Amino acid sequence: MKVAMIEIDHVSQRFQTSGRRSHLALSDISLDIADGAFVSILGPSGCGKSTLLYIVGGFVKPTEGVARVKGKLITGPGPDRGPVFQEFALFPWKTVLGNVMYGMLQQGMKKSEADARGRGLLEMVGLKGYETFFPKELSGGMKQRVAIARTLAYDPAVLLMDEPFGALDAHTRTRLQNDLLDIWDRQRKTVLFVTHSVEEAVFLSDKVVVMSRSPGTIKQIVDIDLPRPRRRADLLLDARFQTYIVEIEKMIDDRPDDM
Amino acid sequence: MTARGVLKALSPLLACIGLLCVWQFASLRLDTESFPTAIDTLKAVPAILTDRESIYNILDSLRRMAIGFTLAVLVAIPLGLLMGRIKAVADFFNPLMMIVYPVPKAALMPIIMLWLGVGDMSKTLVIFLGVSLPIIYHAYQGARAVEEKMLWSGAAMGMSARARMLRIVLPAALPEILTGCRTGLVLALITMITSEMIARQSGAGNILFNALDMAQYDTVFAMILIVGVMGIVLDAAFERIRLSLVRWSQPRGDMPLSFS
Repeated sequence: MKVAMIEIDHVSQRFQTSGRRSHLALSDISLDIADGAFVSILGPSGCGKSTLLYIVGGFVKPTEGVARVKGKLITGPGPDRGPVFQEFALFPWKTVLGNVMYGMLQQGMKKSEADARGRGLLEMVGLKGYETFFPKELSGGMKQRVAIARTLAYDPAVLLMDEPFGALDAHTRTRLQNDLLDIWDRQRKTVLFVTHSVEEAVFLSDKVVVMSRSPGTIKQIVDIDLPRPRRRADLLLDARFQTYIVEIEKMIDDRPDDM
Repeated sequence: MTARGVLKALSPLLACIGLLCVWQFASLRLDTESFPTAIDTLKAVPAILTDRESIYNILDSLRRMAIGFTLAVLVAIPLGLLMGRIKAVADFFNPLMMIVYPVPKAALMPIIMLWLGVGDMSKTLVIFLGVSLPIIYHAYQGARAVEEKMLWSGAAMGMSARARMLRIVLPAALPEILTGCRTGLVLALITMITSEMIARQSGAGNILFNALDMAQYDTVFAMILIVGVMGIVLDAAFERIRLSLVRWSQPRGDMPLSFS
């Protein structure tokens, strides 16, 4: 058994809503994520899956419980955990290359070095030739590629991906999933990936954490035992792939009494 | 350049000529002493611009305007940004803004004159007040609109709160801030003239109203023309600077929305 990269230890999150009511978004979540694992968190909207990711990122402080990365208590954001958001969150006043170099320069890397590494990363995500473009001039898929390169640039041990392909069309989404797996095969970072697409979760992950909502709890953890490297075209015909999808689909099937 | 392009480039000039023609025609038609013709007015312009005292007066005005505007920018941008990102600061200043915003700043001039005299200090202060509010407001709106996730991305790169304020919030809000500054610049010109009308001692507004008192109507109109041209030139120059700073927020190859 590999050492845990991320430990989530009895974490609960309560939000104040209007009036004196409060909403329990996460209830007593415990989860260990091994170094180098690709783990997806799957659940209906409002189950607190993004909140869990933000807690690991250090962007949100849990009401109860703690989270650790490499055994160290998480007290805030840090360059060991790189986020990729659905909204891309690129710096619009910086060029594509400027965005990718931003974190490296922040870490004190020399400009020439950051420039070279930035160009290399852009080539890796398929954006060679777009270095001087501004984010505004790119399509959604290209923006997300820049965002992934920008986060990989400062070499975080953990990638925190918050529905990164949720705003993209089906075709772009598939291509980015494939490319993400390619990158992951090369770099083997620990990935925590939030999604509400069952197929996406099964295709990408070693483990799928299925959550239920109100309050958000872990319903089940499913190990995905499919060979890697995975190719989408092969998997679509694979009975095991389909079985996982159906199995998980049934788990998160929303019954009216869940609402 | 196509014929259409030439026409487009010349359109501001054509508009000016058209306006002068209408003016010329109207004043000839009305034929009253208090409405000099466009040609008479244009003839009076060189007299003002070659008069040493007039030039000093105009430069005095511009100096006060520049100082008032610069001070306002230096105070209003940080304040607006802090209001946009820190709730306590917004809670404190917002009610204050709501009260002060609709008050015409020139209306405060009598009180300020009473306290600070009729000199530079009062006039600069009124300009400062007039310019500050739109810039604070726009900086506040701009800072508030900055995407939380963008700041989180910065935090994950190891940026401190201070660094995020200076290097994420400020550039992200810059287009909005500069819109405020553009409004502020025009307001600076307005408050400049108004303050000189009230506290007549020096400046472009002073020349204007002295000429009016002495029934030198061609000078009055010429001065209005000079102040108007000053406004147009300042605005066009600012628009140039603005566009070069926020090129990233303009679509590539798009024509700027200015005739400068």
